[in-house]
Amino acid sequence: MTMTTTASESSTAPGPVGIRSLRSATATPFTRAIGLATIAGMVWLLGFGLFVSPKDQVQKDAVRIMYVHVPTVYLAYLAFTVTAVASLAYLWKRTRSLTWDRIAGASAEIGVFFMAICLITGSVWGSISWGTYWVWDARLTTTAFLFATYIGYLAVRRLGGSHESRARRSAIMAIIAVVEIPLVHFSVEWWRPLHQNESVSKGELDGLMLFTLFVGIVTFTLFYAWLLLHRQRVMYMEDAMDDRGLDLALAERRQEVQ
Amino acid sequence: MIAMQYALKILGSYGLTVAGVVAYAIYTAVDLTPREPGDDGPRKRRRWGPILVLAVVIAGGGVVVSKFLTSAIDYYCNVDEIGAKGSCTGDRRIRVQGTVDQGSIVESPDGGVEQFSISFNGKSVPVDYSDGAAMPALFAACIPVVVEGRLRGGRVVGTNLEVKHTEKYEAENADRIATSENAPCSQPA
Repeated sequence: MTMTTTASESSTAPGPVGIRSLRSATATPFTRAIGLATIAGMVWLLGFGLFVSPKDQVQKDAVRIMYVHVPTVYLAYLAFTVTAVASLAYLWKRTRSLTWDRIAGASAEIGVFFMAICLITGSVWGSISWGTYWVWDARLTTTAFLFATYIGYLAVRRLGGSHESRARRSAIMAIIAVVEIPLVHFSVEWWRPLHQNESVSKGELDGLMLFTLFVGIVTFTLFYAWLLLHRQRVMYMEDAMDDRGLDLALAERRQEVQ
Repeated sequence: MIAMQYALKILGSYGLTVAGVVAYAIYTAVDLTPREPGDDGPRKRRRWGPILVLAVVIAGGGVVVSKFLTSAIDYYCNVDEIGAKGSCTGDRRIRVQGTVDQGSIVESPDGGVEQFSISFNGKSVPVDYSDGAAMPALFAACIPVVVEGRLRGGRVVGTNLEVKHTEKYEAENADRIATSENAPCSQPA
Protein backbone atom coordinates (compact mmCIF):
# COMPACT_ATOMS: atom_id res chain seq x y z
CA MET A 1 0.00 0.00 0.00
CA THR A 2 2.05 2.93 -1.18
CA MET A 3 1.41 6.42 -2.36
CA THR A 4 2.44 6.58 -5.96
CA THR A 5 3.96 10.01 -5.93
CA THR A 6 7.34 10.10 -7.56
CA ALA A 7 10.17 11.78 -5.75
CA SER A 8 11.06 14.14 -8.57
CA GLU A 9 7.52 15.51 -8.83
CA SER A 10 7.16 16.51 -5.25
CA SER A 11 10.69 17.79 -4.75
CA THR A 12 10.44 20.22 -7.66
CA ALA A 13 6.91 21.38 -6.91
CA PRO A 14 6.74 24.66 -4.98
CA GLY A 15 4.94 25.09 -1.67
CA PRO A 16 6.09 24.78 1.89
CA VAL A 17 3.58 22.44 3.52
CA GLY A 18 3.66 18.67 3.85
CA ILE A 19 6.03 17.91 0.99
CA ARG A 20 8.09 15.43 2.94
CA SER A 21 5.13 13.19 3.73
CA LEU A 22 3.91 13.13 0.15
CA ARG A 23 7.13 11.57 -0.94
CA SER A 24 6.90 8.67 1.49
CA ALA A 25 4.43 5.80 1.63
CA THR A 26 1.88 5.41 4.40
CA ALA A 27 3.47 2.10 5.38
CA THR A 28 6.21 1.62 7.96
CA PRO A 29 7.87 -1.61 9.13
CA PHE A 30 5.48 -1.52 12.09
CA THR A 31 2.31 -1.33 9.98
CA ARG A 32 3.69 -4.04 7.68
CA ALA A 33 4.14 -6.31 10.70
CA ILE A 34 0.58 -5.62 11.85
CA GLY A 35 -0.69 -6.21 8.32
CA LEU A 36 1.02 -9.59 8.10
CA ALA A 37 -0.27 -10.55 11.55
CA THR A 38 -3.79 -9.60 10.39
CA ILE A 39 -3.56 -11.84 7.34
CA ALA A 40 -2.29 -14.72 9.50
CA GLY A 41 -5.11 -14.08 11.96
CA MET A 42 -7.74 -14.08 9.20
CA VAL A 43 -6.50 -17.47 7.96
CA TRP A 44 -6.56 -18.76 11.54
CA LEU A 45 -10.08 -17.41 12.04
CA LEU A 46 -11.36 -18.95 8.80
CA GLY A 47 -9.87 -22.31 9.82
CA PHE A 48 -11.31 -22.28 13.33
CA GLY A 49 -14.56 -20.53 12.42
CA LEU A 50 -15.48 -22.76 9.50
CA PHE A 51 -13.86 -26.11 10.36
CA VAL A 52 -12.38 -26.61 13.82
CA SER A 53 -15.10 -25.15 16.05
CA PRO A 54 -18.10 -27.41 16.79
CA LYS A 55 -21.66 -27.11 15.53
CA ASP A 56 -24.17 -25.72 17.99
CA GLN A 57 -26.71 -28.04 19.62
CA VAL A 58 -29.65 -25.98 18.28
CA GLN A 59 -28.27 -23.70 15.58
CA LYS A 60 -25.94 -26.24 13.94
CA ASP A 61 -23.57 -24.57 11.46
CA ALA A 62 -25.30 -21.17 11.67
CA VAL A 63 -23.42 -20.48 14.90
CA ARG A 64 -20.27 -19.95 12.80
CA ILE A 65 -21.56 -16.52 11.78
CA MET A 66 -20.97 -15.44 15.38
CA TYR A 67 -17.18 -15.41 14.87
CA VAL A 68 -17.53 -12.49 12.46
CA HIS A 69 -20.69 -10.89 13.81
CA VAL A 70 -19.55 -10.40 17.41
CA PRO A 71 -15.91 -9.27 16.83
CA THR A 72 -17.02 -6.67 14.26
CA VAL A 73 -19.46 -5.06 16.67
CA TYR A 74 -16.89 -5.06 19.49
CA LEU A 75 -14.46 -3.32 17.18
CA ALA A 76 -17.11 -0.82 16.11
CA TYR A 77 -17.65 0.02 19.80
CA LEU A 78 -13.89 0.37 20.24
CA ALA A 79 -13.54 2.51 17.11
CA PHE A 80 -16.30 4.92 18.16
CA THR A 81 -14.80 5.15 21.65
CA VAL A 82 -11.40 5.99 20.17
CA THR A 83 -13.15 8.65 18.07
CA ALA A 84 -14.61 10.21 21.22
CA VAL A 85 -11.32 10.10 23.16
CA ALA A 86 -9.36 11.58 20.24
CA SER A 87 -12.04 14.28 19.91
CA LEU A 88 -11.65 15.16 23.59
CA ALA A 89 -7.88 15.35 23.09
CA TYR A 90 -8.46 17.75 20.20
CA LEU A 91 -10.81 19.97 22.20
CA TRP A 92 -8.49 20.11 25.21
CA LYS A 93 -6.23 23.09 24.60
CA ARG A 94 -3.00 21.51 25.82
CA THR A 95 -3.20 18.60 23.43
CA ARG A 96 -4.89 20.39 20.54
CA SER A 97 -3.58 19.02 17.27
CA LEU A 98 -5.21 18.13 13.96
CA THR A 99 -3.62 14.69 14.31
CA TRP A 100 -6.23 13.90 16.99
CA ASP A 101 -8.96 15.06 14.64
CA ARG A 102 -7.68 12.81 11.85
CA ILE A 103 -7.44 9.84 14.23
CA ALA A 104 -11.05 10.53 15.27
CA GLY A 105 -12.22 10.67 11.65
CA ALA A 106 -10.27 7.60 10.56
CA SER A 107 -11.52 5.59 13.53
CA ALA A 108 -15.16 6.52 12.88
CA GLU A 109 -14.85 5.47 9.23
CA ILE A 110 -13.49 2.09 10.25
CA GLY A 111 -16.19 1.76 12.90
CA VAL A 112 -18.93 2.35 10.32
CA PHE A 113 -17.31 -0.26 8.08
CA PHE A 114 -17.26 -2.84 10.90
CA MET A 115 -20.81 -1.95 11.88
CA ALA A 116 -21.95 -2.57 8.29
CA ILE A 117 -20.37 -6.04 8.34
CA CYS A 118 -22.00 -6.70 11.71
CA LEU A 119 -25.44 -5.69 10.38
CA ILE A 120 -25.15 -7.74 7.19
CA THR A 121 -23.85 -10.91 8.88
CA GLY A 122 -26.40 -10.44 11.66
CA SER A 123 -29.21 -10.23 9.22
CA VAL A 124 -28.09 -13.40 7.43
CA TRP A 125 -27.83 -15.11 10.80
CA GLY A 126 -31.31 -13.86 11.70
CA SER A 127 -32.71 -15.29 8.49
CA ILE A 128 -31.41 -18.71 9.52
CA SER A 129 -32.07 -18.75 13.23
CA TRP A 130 -35.09 -16.43 13.73
CA GLY A 131 -36.62 -16.93 10.30
CA THR A 132 -36.44 -13.25 9.35
CA TYR A 133 -33.77 -10.82 8.12
CA TRP A 134 -34.82 -7.88 10.25
CA VAL A 135 -37.04 -7.13 13.24
CA TRP A 136 -37.59 -3.84 15.02
CA ASP A 137 -36.64 -5.09 18.46
CA ALA A 138 -34.63 -3.07 20.97
CA ARG A 139 -31.19 -4.36 19.98
CA LEU A 140 -31.61 -3.98 16.23
CA THR A 141 -33.36 -0.63 16.50
CA THR A 142 -30.68 0.93 18.72
CA THR A 143 -27.96 -0.54 16.49
CA ALA A 144 -29.56 1.01 13.40
CA PHE A 145 -29.62 4.33 15.24
CA LEU A 146 -25.93 4.07 16.13
CA PHE A 147 -25.06 3.21 12.53
CA ALA A 148 -27.06 6.17 11.18
CA THR A 149 -25.48 8.52 13.73
CA TYR A 150 -21.95 7.72 12.62
CA ILE A 151 -22.79 7.96 8.93
CA GLY A 152 -24.09 11.40 9.89
CA TYR A 153 -20.82 12.10 11.70
CA LEU A 154 -18.84 11.24 8.56
CA ALA A 155 -21.08 13.55 6.52
CA VAL A 156 -20.58 16.36 9.07
CA ARG A 157 -16.81 15.98 8.68
CA ARG A 158 -17.14 16.63 4.95
CA LEU A 159 -19.28 19.76 5.09
CA GLY A 160 -16.29 21.94 4.20
CA GLY A 161 -14.60 24.92 5.81
CA SER A 162 -11.15 25.01 7.39
CA HIS A 163 -9.54 21.94 8.97
CA GLU A 164 -10.02 23.58 12.37
CA SER A 165 -13.74 24.17 11.96
CA ARG A 166 -14.16 20.60 10.70
CA ALA A 167 -12.26 19.33 13.74
CA ARG A 168 -14.27 21.40 16.23
CA ARG A 169 -17.78 20.58 15.01
CA SER A 170 -17.06 16.88 14.49
CA ALA A 171 -15.35 16.56 17.90
CA ILE A 172 -18.45 17.88 19.63
CA MET A 173 -20.68 15.50 17.70
CA ALA A 174 -18.40 12.52 18.44
CA ILE A 175 -18.51 13.16 22.18
CA ILE A 176 -22.31 13.31 22.16
CA ALA A 177 -22.69 10.28 19.88
CA VAL A 178 -20.55 7.93 21.94
CA VAL A 179 -23.19 7.69 24.70
CA GLU A 180 -25.29 5.61 22.29
CA ILE A 181 -22.91 2.69 22.74
CA PRO A 182 -24.13 1.69 26.24
CA LEU A 183 -27.67 2.14 24.92
CA VAL A 184 -27.00 -0.49 22.24
CA HIS A 185 -24.98 -2.80 24.46
CA PHE A 186 -27.42 -2.87 27.38
CA SER A 187 -30.57 -2.76 25.24
CA VAL A 188 -30.83 -6.54 25.65
CA GLU A 189 -30.90 -6.13 29.45
CA TRP A 190 -33.07 -3.02 29.69
CA TRP A 191 -35.76 -4.09 27.24
CA ARG A 192 -36.86 -7.48 25.93
CA PRO A 193 -35.62 -8.07 22.42
CA LEU A 194 -35.76 -10.99 20.04
CA HIS A 195 -31.98 -10.78 19.89
CA GLN A 196 -30.22 -13.05 22.36
CA ASN A 197 -28.68 -11.68 25.53
CA GLU A 198 -25.02 -11.35 26.33
CA SER A 199 -23.36 -14.80 26.29
CA VAL A 200 -19.66 -14.16 26.81
CA SER A 201 -19.71 -12.56 30.26
CA LYS A 202 -22.28 -15.09 31.50
CA GLY A 203 -20.12 -18.07 30.53
CA GLU A 204 -22.82 -19.49 28.27
CA LEU A 205 -20.40 -20.40 25.48
CA ASP A 206 -18.81 -23.75 24.74
CA GLY A 207 -15.02 -23.59 25.32
CA LEU A 208 -13.88 -23.99 21.74
CA MET A 209 -16.54 -21.55 20.52
CA LEU A 210 -15.29 -18.98 23.05
CA PHE A 211 -11.72 -19.52 21.89
CA THR A 212 -12.69 -19.06 18.23
CA LEU A 213 -14.53 -15.87 19.15
CA PHE A 214 -11.36 -14.73 20.91
CA VAL A 215 -9.34 -15.41 17.73
CA GLY A 216 -11.85 -13.27 15.86
CA ILE A 217 -11.56 -10.39 18.31
CA VAL A 218 -7.74 -10.44 18.27
CA THR A 219 -7.65 -10.59 14.46
CA PHE A 220 -10.14 -7.78 13.95
CA THR A 221 -8.32 -5.65 16.55
CA LEU A 222 -5.06 -6.04 14.61
CA PHE A 223 -6.90 -5.19 11.42
CA TYR A 224 -8.40 -2.10 13.09
CA ALA A 225 -4.96 -0.89 14.20
CA TRP A 226 -3.56 -1.40 10.70
CA LEU A 227 -6.44 0.48 9.07
CA LEU A 228 -6.32 3.31 11.59
CA LEU A 229 -2.61 4.00 11.09
CA HIS A 230 -2.88 3.99 7.31
CA ARG A 231 -6.10 5.92 7.03
CA GLN A 232 -4.93 8.58 9.47
CA ARG A 233 -1.76 9.08 7.40
CA VAL A 234 -3.71 9.32 4.15
CA MET A 235 -5.93 11.93 5.79
CA TYR A 236 -2.80 13.84 6.81
CA MET A 237 -1.73 13.84 3.17
CA GLU A 238 -5.16 15.04 2.06
CA ASP A 239 -5.03 17.91 4.54
CA ALA A 240 -1.47 18.75 3.46
CA MET A 241 -2.58 18.70 -0.17
CA ASP A 242 -5.43 21.09 0.67
CA ASP A 243 -3.09 23.44 2.52
CA ARG A 244 -0.59 23.43 -0.30
CA GLY A 245 -3.34 24.13 -2.81
CA LEU A 246 -4.40 27.11 -0.75
CA ASP A 247 -0.82 28.39 -0.47
CA LEU A 248 -0.35 28.10 -4.22
CA ALA A 249 -3.60 29.93 -4.90
CA LEU A 250 -2.58 32.72 -2.53
CA ALA A 251 0.85 33.02 -4.16
CA GLU A 252 -0.73 33.25 -7.63
CA ARG A 253 -3.15 35.90 -6.47
CA ARG A 254 -0.33 37.97 -4.97
CA GLN A 255 1.54 37.82 -8.23
CA GLU A 256 -1.53 38.99 -10.14
CA VAL A 257 -1.88 41.96 -7.80
CA GLN A 258 1.76 43.01 -8.14
CA MET B 1 -31.72 -28.58 0.02
CA ILE B 2 -32.29 -26.26 2.96
CA ALA B 3 -28.90 -27.25 4.42
CA MET B 4 -27.34 -26.25 1.10
CA GLN B 5 -29.05 -22.87 1.31
CA TYR B 6 -27.74 -22.32 4.84
CA ALA B 7 -24.22 -23.41 3.91
CA LEU B 8 -24.30 -20.79 1.14
CA LYS B 9 -25.48 -18.12 3.57
CA ILE B 10 -22.78 -18.96 6.11
CA LEU B 11 -20.03 -19.11 3.49
CA GLY B 12 -21.48 -15.91 2.00
CA SER B 13 -21.11 -14.11 5.33
CA TYR B 14 -17.45 -15.06 5.49
CA GLY B 15 -16.88 -14.30 1.81
CA LEU B 16 -18.50 -10.92 2.16
CA THR B 17 -16.43 -10.14 5.22
CA VAL B 18 -13.19 -11.08 3.50
CA ALA B 19 -14.14 -9.12 0.37
CA GLY B 20 -15.12 -6.13 2.49
CA VAL B 21 -11.88 -6.33 4.44
CA VAL B 22 -9.80 -6.37 1.27
CA ALA B 23 -11.76 -3.58 -0.40
CA TYR B 24 -11.67 -1.37 2.67
CA ALA B 25 -7.96 -2.04 3.23
CA ILE B 26 -7.26 -0.83 -0.30
CA TYR B 27 -9.48 2.21 0.15
CA THR B 28 -7.85 3.06 3.47
CA ALA B 29 -4.23 2.89 2.48
CA VAL B 30 -4.24 4.23 -1.04
CA ASP B 31 -5.41 7.68 -1.94
CA LEU B 32 -6.48 7.24 -5.53
CA THR B 33 -8.00 10.69 -5.92
CA PRO B 34 -6.30 12.32 -8.92
CA ARG B 35 -5.23 15.74 -7.78
CA GLU B 36 -2.73 18.25 -9.02
CA PRO B 37 -0.89 20.53 -6.64
CA GLY B 38 -2.89 23.73 -6.52
CA ASP B 39 -6.19 22.11 -7.37
CA ASP B 40 -8.44 23.12 -4.52
CA GLY B 41 -11.64 22.82 -6.50
CA PRO B 42 -13.80 21.05 -3.93
CA ARG B 43 -12.95 23.66 -1.29
CA LYS B 44 -14.78 26.44 -3.09
CA ARG B 45 -17.81 24.54 -4.32
CA ARG B 46 -20.79 23.97 -2.05
CA ARG B 47 -20.64 20.37 -0.90
CA TRP B 48 -24.07 18.91 -1.67
CA GLY B 49 -23.12 15.25 -1.19
CA PRO B 50 -22.66 15.42 2.60
CA ILE B 51 -25.73 17.65 2.98
CA LEU B 52 -27.82 15.08 1.11
CA VAL B 53 -26.38 12.25 3.23
CA LEU B 54 -27.19 14.23 6.39
CA ALA B 55 -30.77 14.79 5.26
CA VAL B 56 -31.23 11.08 4.59
CA VAL B 57 -29.62 10.19 7.94
CA ILE B 58 -31.88 12.58 9.85
CA ALA B 59 -35.00 11.25 8.09
CA GLY B 60 -33.83 7.68 8.70
CA GLY B 61 -33.13 8.53 12.35
CA GLY B 62 -36.73 9.72 12.70
CA VAL B 63 -38.04 6.40 11.36
CA VAL B 64 -35.76 4.50 13.73
CA VAL B 65 -36.90 6.51 16.76
CA SER B 66 -40.57 5.96 15.89
CA LYS B 67 -39.91 2.23 15.50
CA PHE B 68 -38.20 2.30 18.84
CA LEU B 69 -41.21 3.83 20.54
CA THR B 70 -43.83 1.66 18.83
CA SER B 71 -42.15 -1.73 18.53
CA ALA B 72 -38.81 -2.06 20.25
CA ILE B 73 -39.53 -1.20 23.89
CA ASP B 74 -42.10 -3.98 24.39
CA TYR B 75 -41.31 -6.31 21.56
CA TYR B 76 -43.42 -9.12 23.01
CA CYS B 77 -45.62 -10.23 25.91
CA ASN B 78 -44.64 -13.33 27.86
CA VAL B 79 -47.30 -16.05 28.05
CA ASP B 80 -47.98 -15.35 31.74
CA GLU B 81 -48.67 -11.68 30.99
CA ILE B 82 -51.64 -12.38 28.71
CA GLY B 83 -54.72 -10.93 30.37
CA ALA B 84 -52.59 -9.64 33.25
CA LYS B 85 -50.73 -6.72 31.67
CA GLY B 86 -52.61 -3.88 29.97
CA SER B 87 -50.77 -4.03 26.65
CA CYS B 88 -51.16 -7.84 26.48
CA THR B 89 -54.95 -7.91 26.67
CA GLY B 90 -57.92 -7.65 24.34
CA ASP B 91 -58.41 -7.97 20.62
CA ARG B 92 -55.25 -6.49 19.18
CA ARG B 93 -52.24 -7.74 17.30
CA ILE B 94 -49.61 -8.82 19.78
CA ARG B 95 -46.45 -10.89 19.94
CA VAL B 96 -46.31 -13.66 22.54
CA GLN B 97 -43.11 -15.25 23.77
CA GLY B 98 -42.92 -18.75 25.21
CA THR B 99 -41.25 -22.14 24.84
CA VAL B 100 -42.92 -24.68 22.56
CA ASP B 101 -44.32 -27.49 24.74
CA GLN B 102 -43.00 -31.00 24.21
CA GLY B 103 -45.49 -33.14 22.27
CA SER B 104 -47.87 -30.25 21.54
CA ILE B 105 -47.10 -29.81 17.84
CA VAL B 106 -49.97 -30.91 15.56
CA GLU B 107 -49.10 -31.14 11.88
CA SER B 108 -51.43 -31.14 8.89
CA PRO B 109 -51.21 -34.00 6.34
CA ASP B 110 -48.97 -31.89 4.07
CA GLY B 111 -46.44 -31.35 6.88
CA GLY B 112 -47.37 -27.78 7.85
CA VAL B 113 -47.70 -26.91 11.52
CA GLU B 114 -51.36 -26.40 12.51
CA GLN B 115 -51.31 -26.15 16.28
CA PHE B 116 -48.97 -26.15 19.24
CA SER B 117 -48.83 -24.62 22.69
CA ILE B 118 -46.23 -22.40 24.30
CA SER B 119 -45.53 -21.79 27.95
CA PHE B 120 -43.61 -19.36 30.08
CA ASN B 121 -43.28 -19.04 33.83
CA GLY B 122 -45.73 -21.86 34.54
CA LYS B 123 -48.53 -20.59 32.25
CA SER B 124 -49.39 -22.15 28.90
CA VAL B 125 -51.39 -20.90 25.92
CA PRO B 126 -52.55 -22.85 22.83
CA VAL B 127 -51.58 -21.45 19.43
CA ASP B 128 -53.64 -21.94 16.29
CA TYR B 129 -51.19 -21.58 13.42
CA SER B 130 -53.21 -23.04 10.53
CA ASP B 131 -53.14 -19.73 8.59
CA GLY B 132 -49.62 -18.78 9.63
CA ALA B 133 -46.64 -17.98 7.44
CA ALA B 134 -43.93 -20.55 6.73
CA MET B 135 -42.07 -21.82 9.79
CA PRO B 136 -38.37 -21.08 10.35
CA ALA B 137 -36.32 -24.25 10.01
CA LEU B 138 -35.25 -24.20 13.65
CA PHE B 139 -38.86 -24.46 14.92
CA ALA B 140 -39.17 -27.46 17.25
CA ALA B 141 -40.39 -28.45 20.69
CA CYS B 142 -38.49 -26.94 23.65
CA ILE B 143 -37.38 -23.91 21.60
CA PRO B 144 -38.43 -20.41 22.69
CA VAL B 145 -40.45 -18.62 20.00
CA VAL B 146 -42.25 -15.32 19.47
CA VAL B 147 -45.68 -15.78 17.86
CA GLU B 148 -47.33 -12.77 16.23
CA GLY B 149 -51.10 -12.81 15.99
CA ARG B 150 -54.38 -12.07 17.77
CA LEU B 151 -55.95 -13.29 20.99
CA ARG B 152 -59.25 -15.12 20.37
CA GLY B 153 -61.02 -16.82 23.24
CA GLY B 154 -57.96 -17.80 25.20
CA ARG B 155 -56.03 -18.91 22.10
CA VAL B 156 -53.39 -17.14 20.05
CA VAL B 157 -54.27 -17.11 16.35
CA GLY B 158 -50.77 -16.87 14.95
CA THR B 159 -49.87 -15.43 11.56
CA ASN B 160 -46.11 -15.18 11.92
CA LEU B 161 -43.42 -16.77 14.03
CA GLU B 162 -39.82 -16.01 14.97
CA VAL B 163 -37.52 -18.42 16.73
CA LYS B 164 -35.95 -16.75 19.75
CA HIS B 165 -32.56 -18.22 20.44
CA THR B 166 -31.28 -18.28 24.01
CA GLU B 167 -27.82 -16.98 24.85
CA LYS B 168 -26.64 -20.56 25.42
CA TYR B 169 -24.22 -22.15 22.94
CA GLU B 170 -23.31 -25.81 23.27
CA ALA B 171 -21.41 -28.15 21.02
CA GLU B 172 -23.59 -30.61 19.15
CA ASN B 173 -23.61 -34.02 20.76
CA ALA B 174 -25.27 -36.93 18.98
CA ASP B 175 -25.99 -38.94 22.17
CA ARG B 176 -27.67 -36.05 23.89
CA ILE B 177 -30.03 -35.45 20.99
CA ALA B 178 -30.97 -39.13 20.80
CA THR B 179 -31.89 -39.32 24.48
CA SER B 180 -33.72 -36.02 24.57
CA GLU B 181 -35.96 -36.81 21.64
CA ASN B 182 -38.79 -38.10 23.82
CA ALA B 183 -37.84 -36.61 27.16
CA PRO B 184 -39.48 -33.43 28.49
CA CYS B 185 -37.68 -30.17 27.80
CA SER B 186 -34.47 -30.10 29.81
CA GLN B 187 -34.86 -26.43 30.67
CA PRO B 188 -38.44 -26.03 31.90
CA ALA B 189 -40.03 -22.81 30.71
